[in-house]
Amino acid sequence: MSPARSAEAGPEGRGLTASPGHAADGAVPGRVTDDPGARAQAPGSPAIHAIELRKRYRRTVALDGLSMSVERGEVFGFLGPNGAGKTTAVKLLLGLVRPSGGEAMVLGAPAGDLQTRRRIGYLPELFRYQSWLTAREVLVLHCRLRRLPRPRWAGAVDDALRIVGLSGRGDDRVGTFSKGMQQRLGLGVALLGEPELVVLDEPTSALDPVGRHDVRTIIRALRDRGTTVFLNTHLLAEAEHVCDRVAIISRGRSVATGSLAELKAARPSVRLRVGGLADGWWERLAGFGRWTPDGDWLLVEDMAAGRVPDLVGSIVSLGGQVEAVIPEQQTLEERFLELLEEK
Amino acid sequence: MSAVWTIALLTVREAVRRRLVAAFALISVVLVTLSGWGFYRLSHNVGFTSGESHVAMPEAVILFMFMFSFVVALSASAIASPAISSEIDSGVLQTVAARPVRRGEVLFGKWLGLAGLLAAYTAIVSGLQVAVVYWASGYVAPDPAAAAAFVFAEGVALLTLVLLLSTRLSALAAGVIGVALFGVAWLGGVVGLLGETFNVHALRTAGHVSQYLLPTDGLWHAAVYYLEPSWFITQQLAETPGVRGNPFMSLSAPSWPYLTWAAIWLVLVLVLGLTSFERREL
Ligand SMILES: Nc1ncnc2c1ncn2[C@@H]1O[C@H](COP(=O)(O)OP(=O)(O)OP(=O)(O)O)[C@@H](O)[C@H]1O
Ligand SMILES: [Mg+2]
Repeated sequence: MSPARSAEAGPEGRGLTASPGHAADGAVPGRVTDDPGARAQAPGSPAIHAIELRKRYRRTVALDGLSMSVERGEVFGFLGPNGAGKTTAVKLLLGLVRPSGGEAMVLGAPAGDLQTRRRIGYLPELFRYQSWLTAREVLVLHCRLRRLPRPRWAGAVDDALRIVGLSGRGDDRVGTFSKGMQQRLGLGVALLGEPELVVLDEPTSALDPVGRHDVRTIIRALRDRGTTVFLNTHLLAEAEHVCDRVAIISRGRSVATGSLAELKAARPSVRLRVGGLADGWWERLAGFGRWTPDGDWLLVEDMAAGRVPDLVGSIVSLGGQVEAVIPEQQTLEERFLELLEEK
Repeated sequence: MSAVWTIALLTVREAVRRRLVAAFALISVVLVTLSGWGFYRLSHNVGFTSGESHVAMPEAVILFMFMFSFVVALSASAIASPAISSEIDSGVLQTVAARPVRRGEVLFGKWLGLAGLLAAYTAIVSGLQVAVVYWASGYVAPDPAAAAAFVFAEGVALLTLVLLLSTRLSALAAGVIGVALFGVAWLGGVVGLLGETFNVHALRTAGHVSQYLLPTDGLWHAAVYYLEPSWFITQQLAETPGVRGNPFMSLSAPSWPYLTWAAIWLVLVLVLGLTSFERREL
């Protein structure tokens, strides 16, 4: 982000002055850990580990055996359609609701552990802050609740306001903020005190395109300093831009996990131009995928991962002349829709 | 403990910012001014015989305190009913509950803040009232401080109950139920007194039960006792046969067992509220 924009992060909150300026040049000091617990727990434990999480609300089953593991320091995207159970999963991880079954560990402690919450920043999906407080007062309140040592409050509050581009509005009442400004403030609260894990539930739902871009910048800056980010979203573009790994969840269970490249390559498609195939080729090759003739070309979709070389080899062994093999780029959206349909 | 304090101060700050305190102040001024005028007229009424003016003073003070105890109780219900439920609905509470604070600390902090406001309100109005009555007529009730304390206790009882309801019900439902229960408890007290006067066993029992289920009316009767000079009780007993059934009279001091029960009741309801909120899903 250009310095000019950073400097002008003004009333309308145009432009978060996030990183690179912020994180890269050391404006974020090395983590000062004031929590003795931080060192006590096993360093190798994943940031989030969920086993067969279940949550049922009267008749609705919100989570139906969700298992996942988020490594420390990664940006993990939690993707899924409306009502898939993303928000429910996040609330379980923070201990706002209790699971009906299964268990979850967060930063090495059972989900909802009081001491561990000091090391977690959370931006809820639907929230409001006390409308009669100013932005600065909200941040101070959270410094207090988080038990940040008092000498660090002023710096933490100023940093948070600057990062989310609300520097000029710190002394205005939250009740006068626009929706997007409230979401920016929420993000600022989530970042207070350099948490080890930041959980963001649809952080950009109310933001303008600039704001969305800024949030990505902030998330990258968080990753650069080793913070784990758990990002709930149904915006695939958002996930594609910032996530190291994603889980796709549908109806309360995870249907796929992996890096985006892995997900997209999981069921590859190729476009082939082949001549001179011997009779009977069909029996030998049909199993590779779903074949569709397309003019001079043959489209093979939905193949098993890594089978393209085998397919080409088999064609050659049947006497075929492979003139061209073009991998089809499946978009994340196509793959996403495919995964949801499979279930 | 520090989280409790943070929430309590936040609650008080909310009351200031949202003009609740200003409203309380305005009401206090209006109430006390009106009563000052009334007491002045009453004590300077040339038509009264000295005996009549003598009796009129305690009666008027009791009536004022009865009205004020109503105002305190309804205010308690009004400030407690949205305290939890509305904050859950708006999403404010989720941002606090995700922090390293116990739910119990949040609820207790709110209770402390609201009870503190109520205490200040009761103390200020009662104090001004005593001063104004003294200025207007020279009369001072036997123990106005004790009376004010019991009026406050009555308010806190309702406050605590409504706060408990607010952890599960909407602000509207909690408030409406709280006020209705308060009314029923008052009626229960009257019914019990009638039962005593006319010796109807069932009514007397009903009155007793209601005083134990919700001690607001019992506490009101404790307050009244401290507003009655002893000659006033003797005189009323001698002159008015049905006086035992008068909800504005207490013939005896509150009993220790009953006050102990009221304290236990308060703690029980508060603990129930804490537990209910701990278990509430946000
Ligand atoms: N408090 C609740 N009471 C009853 N049902 C609930 C409650 N909260 C969530 N649900 C149900 O659980 C399911 C999952 O909801 P959840 O909010 O987790 O979805 P989501 O993935 O976050 O969706 P979105 O993308 O729309 O935010 C839905 O069917 C929803 O109706
Ligand atoms: Mg959601």
